[in-house]
Parts: sequence; structure tokens; C-alpha cells
Amino acid sequence: MLKNKIAELMNEPGCATNQAKSDAQRKKGCSKPLTPGAAAGGCCFDGAKIALQPITDVVHLVHGPIACEGNSWDTRNSWSSGGDLYRLGFTTDLSNLDIVHGGEKKLYKAIKRSIARYKPAAVFVYQTCVGALIGDDVDAVCKAATERLGTPVIPVNAPGFVGSKNLGNRLGGEALFEHVIGTVDPGDAGPTDINILGEYNVAGELDQFRPLLARLGIRLRASITGDARFRDVAACHTARANMVLCSQALVTLARKMKETYGIPYFEGSFYGISDTSDALRNIARMLVEKGADPTLTDRAEALIAEEEAKAWAALAQFRPRLAGRKVLLYTGGVKSWSVIQALQEVGMEVVGSSVRKATEADKAKALERLGGDEDKLADAITPRDMYAMFTDGKADMMLSGGRSQFVALKARTPWLDINQERHHGYACYDGMVELVRQIDLAINNPIWAQVRRPAPWEEA
Amino acid sequence: MPQSADKVKDHISLFQEPEYKELFENKKANYECRVSDEDVAKQIEYTKTWEYREKNFARKHAVINPPRACQPLGSVYAAAGFEGAMPYVHGSQGCAAYFRSHLSRHFKDAALCVSDSMTEDGAVFGGLNNLVDGLQNCYALYKPKMIVMSTTCMSEVIGDDLSAFIATAKEKEVIPADFPVPFAHTPSFVGSHLNGYDLMIKGVFSYFWDREAQLTPVKGETINIIPGFDGYAPANNREIERYLGMMGVDYTLICDVKDTFDSPTDGHYKMYYGGTKLDDVRASINAKATVSLQEFSTEKTLEYVATKGQETVALNSPMGLTGTDAFLMTVSKLSGKAIPEELEVERGRLVDAIADSAAWLHGKRVSVFGDPDFVYGLTGFLLELGMEPVHLLASNGNSDWEAKMKELLASSPFGGSGQVFINKDLWHMRSLLFTEPVDLLIGSSYGKYLEKDTGTPFIRLGFPIFDRHHHHRFPTFGYQGALRILVEILDRVFEVADNASDISFDLTR
Repeated sequence: MLKNKIAELMNEPGCATNQAKSDAQRKKGCSKPLTPGAAAGGCCFDGAKIALQPITDVVHLVHGPIACEGNSWDTRNSWSSGGDLYRLGFTTDLSNLDIVHGGEKKLYKAIKRSIARYKPAAVFVYQTCVGALIGDDVDAVCKAATERLGTPVIPVNAPGFVGSKNLGNRLGGEALFEHVIGTVDPGDAGPTDINILGEYNVAGELDQFRPLLARLGIRLRASITGDARFRDVAACHTARANMVLCSQALVTLARKMKETYGIPYFEGSFYGISDTSDALRNIARMLVEKGADPTLTDRAEALIAEEEAKAWAALAQFRPRLAGRKVLLYTGGVKSWSVIQALQEVGMEVVGSSVRKATEADKAKALERLGGDEDKLADAITPRDMYAMFTDGKADMMLSGGRSQFVALKARTPWLDINQERHHGYACYDGMVELVRQIDLAINNPIWAQVRRPAPWEEA
Repeated sequence: MPQSADKVKDHISLFQEPEYKELFENKKANYECRVSDEDVAKQIEYTKTWEYREKNFARKHAVINPPRACQPLGSVYAAAGFEGAMPYVHGSQGCAAYFRSHLSRHFKDAALCVSDSMTEDGAVFGGLNNLVDGLQNCYALYKPKMIVMSTTCMSEVIGDDLSAFIATAKEKEVIPADFPVPFAHTPSFVGSHLNGYDLMIKGVFSYFWDREAQLTPVKGETINIIPGFDGYAPANNREIERYLGMMGVDYTLICDVKDTFDSPTDGHYKMYYGGTKLDDVRASINAKATVSLQEFSTEKTLEYVATKGQETVALNSPMGLTGTDAFLMTVSKLSGKAIPEELEVERGRLVDAIADSAAWLHGKRVSVFGDPDFVYGLTGFLLELGMEPVHLLASNGNSDWEAKMKELLASSPFGGSGQVFINKDLWHMRSLLFTEPVDLLIGSSYGKYLEKDTGTPFIRLGFPIFDRHHHHRFPTFGYQGALRILVEILDRVFEVADNASDISFDLTR
């Protein structure tokens, strides 16, 4: 069953890259084969976990040996505006005897106990390599537990060995679609309800765009899954439109919701000023098409004009401090192209941008903003090349995730975290100003002059 | 009863019991004749205003919460840094007891000191008899190799002449004529412990170089290092010696308290443990140069050393990158020895740590109080970290220090909001913290009251540290010391971040 599901996920009609492939290529699937012996990213379990973990009012229970949860517990800055239940680490801690005798009973007891103790809105059970290898039927245990205990228990069948982290993201989406979405009627569905898919409320970014939506009278039914409540996700089939933020992770879920519930979707971004504006325009247009008050379009335009003017004005003050500085963007989740414009606006030169996880459309946009210079688009840059860029003075700064930070830091180059471990929200208009402010703080920090200076007895 | 033999409560919890709370309330209501709580609260609010700050800074005739000690404390500390030396205080015994407890509370180790217990008749007729008896008893009872004498207010007010008195004692043969008794006049009502330290080091030098025998310097290759009055001396001296050893420099540490105040527990009590060898002090006149690690602990000493034809260099605590670089380069220049690769690697590790964490420290506003060289060295490091020193207070700083501090602040883009204060106390600091709040306060243990009062997160660095143990066992000097300070600052910054919000209570920072 899992095999079929994976095959289906590998053939995503909503994915432009997939559609551009030949039949033979498509059959191979889209995951790049892992190279044994080379550094690799997270596993499928990790992907599923991070896609669903931000749902705040449920127990996330990992069925596996201790370290699957132990090593990943609470390492992402997905914030909650409500409870903290999602930040507790639950695991069945499978050990020798469980592997001999099977872990299903232990899993059931763990589910029962966590429900009794924490009264969660639901329990999400994550399968891991070990549980899958010994043949524990997580789906069946969850089904039985749901019936007997009266609390939804959701199986997330994405053991680590089946594929990449990205596949895990999508399997997480599958679990929501199969077991959660459509199970609750909210009773108050309105003409301006929307969902946002692939948003994880990193550093509280949700609250950079929730207020914008609120000013337009748009209700965010569910963010999937940043700062989400189980009931809201379960009722999100009543929304009128879906916006997909991280299409790599959840475009399949968006397509399925369109097919099953008739909810149209578009792919957009809240990173970058004009991208935020485009996103707001698209949301307004889709809601009006689905029968919302037609004045929404004009109100959205007014809001956009006001916020853009404010943001560009706020950015202008950074221009004298940042003009002419060279930035390398090396990003995974956050879409590179959408910040290029803001950086160019304050006079910075984007000397390179990685498009590792970007779609063809993303690449085209990035290329356009970089003036058609293909050399500036890179797939993956090896640490050696990256290091050379810094030491040769081709880049003054890097924006990236935590894993590549030390390449920059060891080359005595300022670095800014724009991945999940960061502590500042960079979404929407305010967020872009914040990003530029953080760049200013990092790149103009006098610390670098000192860090770059050789020991003074070497200077003479 | 809240207290029972089965479960004995300590004073932290005992006085929270209802019986005691009731007792306190009763006392407050019926016996204390207090002004009302509202009036007290109103007055407290008033003391947080700018108006009060101006009045506070106009204050002339009282010091409230002084962040400094007196001269003889410094001279007793200085005496402890020499082989077999017994610190001796000519004056009243209470002073000597204070110096012992002050040093013991900080170093968590025994601090020796005797006094000649002057009483009323001593004050009227002069302290000669006490001094003669005192020297005789001290010599007989404790068998020191040297007695190092300082004075207190009492003997200074009546004008006792140590030089003449010690000569008289030797004439009376209570101690051998060649027994070393260096001395310094150290009235508590002038200067601070730093002056006492300075005068006593000078006193020891001048005893061995001029009084014991008139020595003529023969210039050699050794370098004298005077660490200065330093609450972290046990670890700092070891750190400095490690660097000198790596460079292969021939050196003498003058006043080395690292063993005196950090002796091992091995089942034997050693009255005298460690310290600079007296022969080394005699030979130190032949040094090529003398380097003081703390300029304002050694002003008079260096003047004196210079008269013997030695090159002298005064540093301001080798803290942080620049401070440590300056020390290494000074030593390298004086000795002609290169700075080894390992030290450059160590420096690189510190630079790495600074780069890793700079974003968390950037622009954080800090107030510092303490001894002048400590404040100077730390301010230099804070500027290197991208932090903004705001209030820099050395109650015992002089105008030279003030000018030097202002120059340091002007040399960095982060120094713009720095204000330098001398002759000010911790009640002044309180006004500063209320009227111009900062992110961090750094200073000795006495800062804990300011933390409680003003809510400013506080880091203990300086002298004395009474309420935390073993801080003196880890260096503040050198690259390792800089790492330690960096980590302490970061820990506090992260702690504040963790306490500030439930939402951003992040695992990874």
C-alpha cells in the first residue's frame, strides 16, 4: 500500500517539473538517488514529522527507538499562539524485546496513556524504520485506538528508509488528506475562508500576514501546519481557496483538495514585497471568483499600495549602508527569487542564488531578476567553491540555512540564518524590512573587520 | 512549630513559614513606627527619576555602597605573593581580621595576616611597643622568612614612623638584624586597595634592592611580570605563565599569589605555600624590563623600577583579543622571542567563537563597574564583541584613567554611548541604571543588589566575588579568559531570552 502511495506521489500532475519529464523518467520518480558515503539530508520520517509537528494541540507520538524522537525533539522554531503540547516529545522507545515480540501493544498503551494524561485533540503516530521492519501495523493500531478511545489517532506512515525528507513532507500531507481533512464541519464556513499550505510559522511569521488578511476581512481557516489546531485542519475542506507556500512539500495535497472539495489553489510566496502583493491579489481574485464581495479586489489593491509604499520607504534608509554589497543566496525552503528584488532595491548585488529545490518556474523568475545571467544560478554549490567565493571577494555575505553557515564563518564572512532555526520572521512587508535590517546588522557589524584582521604580529 | 528535629528547615525556607510571616507583620505593624507603604513606594519611585539622579550626582558628603576596598587590603594581598611572607598590619586588629575574611571569602582559601593589636594606650603613647612586641611574637610563633608590614588608619593618624620603629626593633634584637621587613605606609583614608598594592610591591623591591644591600643592576635577559591586584590571579597567573613558557621567555612573576590563594587539599596544612622566591626578587633588579599587567595597580612601583635603568611597560589587563595581543607582542618585542604558532591557533579559536556568536551580542548595552584596569580591559573586549558599553564606573579611577577610557571609547563605533565615571559609587550606578536602562550589568558580587533593585541582568566579574564559588579558578586574561568571559555573557543573554517569552523558548539558539 505504501509502495502504491509513493508511486502516486512521484507522479504529481500538479508539478511542472514532473509534467516536463518523459514517461520513462517519470516512472523513476522525482527523488534524487542518495549517494552512499556522501552527506545527505534528513529522512522520510523527519520530513513527515516536520510537516505535521507544528499542529499545536495534538500529541506527536513516534513509534520507534529512542533517538528518532530524541534527536529531532523541538529543534524547529515553529511557534504557537496557544498551547505547548506539540513541543513535548513522545515516543514508544522500542528496545530489544519489543523488536522480538512486536511493538503494537506498547504503541497502543502509549496512545492510551498520552490521551488519558494530556487530553489532546488527536494523536499523530509516526512510523519509523524499526517499526516498519518488524512489521508493526501502525494503521491498524491507530484505527483500533480511534474506535476504542474516542480520540482521533492518525497514522503517519513514513518510515525513514522509504525515501527523502521531501517525500516525507508529502506523505505527511497524505496523512492529513486521508485521515484528518473533512472529518469536522466547522458550522461557520464563510465566503472569505482560505487555507495556507506549506507554512510552518517559523519565528512567528504567521503573525506577519494574518493581520494583513484580517484587514481585508479574510479568515485564515487553517495554516497547514504552522500554529494549526487539529479542528481547524479537520475543517479546512470548507475553505474557498488554498495558497501553497512551499509547493515542494504540499502541492499534492492542494491538488487533491481541488479534486475532492473543489478548492482552487495557487502557488505563491510571502517572501518579498511584490510577491506578497501578488499573493494578496491572487487570494482576493480567487475569493471573488468563488462568490466573495467583489469590492475585495479594490480593498486589496488599496492595502497593497499602502503597505508597499511603507515598506519601500522603510527599505530606503538601508540603501546607503548596503548599496554595492554582494550577497550569495544559498537557500532551501525560502524561495531565493522572492528576496532578490528586495535586495536589489537597496542596491545590493546578488552574486549567486541556489535553485536546488526550485521549480522550473522559480528558476525562470530568478533568472529574470538576475538579468538573465545563468552563471549566477547554481544547483548545489560545493563547500569548496563556496569558500572560494568568499575568499576571492566575490561575495560579502551569505544567506543560508544553518548547515552551510560554517563555510561562511570560517571564511570570515558574515552569514545570516534564513532557515528554520532563525529567530526573526521575514514574511510579508514588515518581514522583508526585518530581513534587510538583519542583513545590515550582520554585514555592517564592525566585528568582521576584527575577525578578518590577521594576528597583529603577522601584519608587519 | 515550623522547625523540628526531623526536618530542619534552612533559613531560605524557614522564614517563609506562616509563624514567621505573622511575626514579621506584627513587628512591622506595632513596633517599627513606619511611614506607610504607599509613602515608601512613592519615594522609591521618585528615586528612579532623572531629577533624583541629578541630586544624587550632586552628593558630596556621603558614599553609598562603595565598590572599592582600602589600601592595607591591597598591601596584605601583595604581601601574600612572596615566599614565606607573613603580612603584618601595624594598627588595630579589627582591620587585619577584615582583610583576612575579605580575601578568604573571595578565594575560598586561608589568608594569613597578623596585627600588633594596638589599643588605647598605643594610640596615646605611640605604637612602638606594640610593634616591637608584635615583631618578636610573629617571628617566634610563625617563623616566616619575611614580615611584610603595612599600616592602618589608626597608626597613620598618630603618625608612627615604620622605618624608625623597625630599626629600633632590630636594635633591641627581637628579630635578627638581617631579617627582611619591607614596609609601606598605607592609610585607609587615602586611595584604594590598588594604591596599597602598588606601595607594598615598591616597598618589597626597595627593601631588597636598596635597604638590605645597595644592589647595582647588571642587565640580564629576564623580564619581570607584575600581575597587579587581581581577583582571578590563581588562574590568570597560570595562564600568563603558560604563554611565557610556550614562547620560551625567561621571566620572574613578581607577587605571585597563584598558590597562596589556591593551595591543594592534600592532608597537610602549609602555612606558607607558593609565592615569588626572595632570591628571585633580589635578582629581579637585573631584569631587562618590567611589565605591569595593570597600570593603575603599579604607578609608583614602575616609577621606582625605572630609576634602576629598566624598561617598563604598563598594560591595562590583557583581556580580549586586543588586550592579549598587546601582551604577547610586548613580551615578544622585549624578549626577542617569536609568538608560537599554537598561540595563533588559540587566538583563531577565540576569533571563531566571536564570529559564531556576534549576532547575539551586537548592540547590547552594558554597564560595568570595578577596578580601573579591569574596567578598561573588559570595555575593550566588549567593544570587540560589538556590544555597547554605556556606564563605566571605577570609583578608584583617576583622571589619567578617565582620559584613557574616553580615548578607548572614541576608537570604536560601539563606544559612542559610553560614559566614564570616577569617584562614584554603586548608589550612583543605581540612578544610572534606572534613568538609562541597559541590557547587562557587569561587576563584583555587590552588583547583585543592583540586579534585584533595577532588574538589570547581572554578570559577576571582578573583585570581590563572595556569593559564587571558584570563579577565580578560571582565567579572565588571555584568549582562554576571553572565551570564559564570552561564554558568561552569552549564557546570561540566552537566559534572559529564555525567561522573556514562552513562545520563543527555543531549543536551538
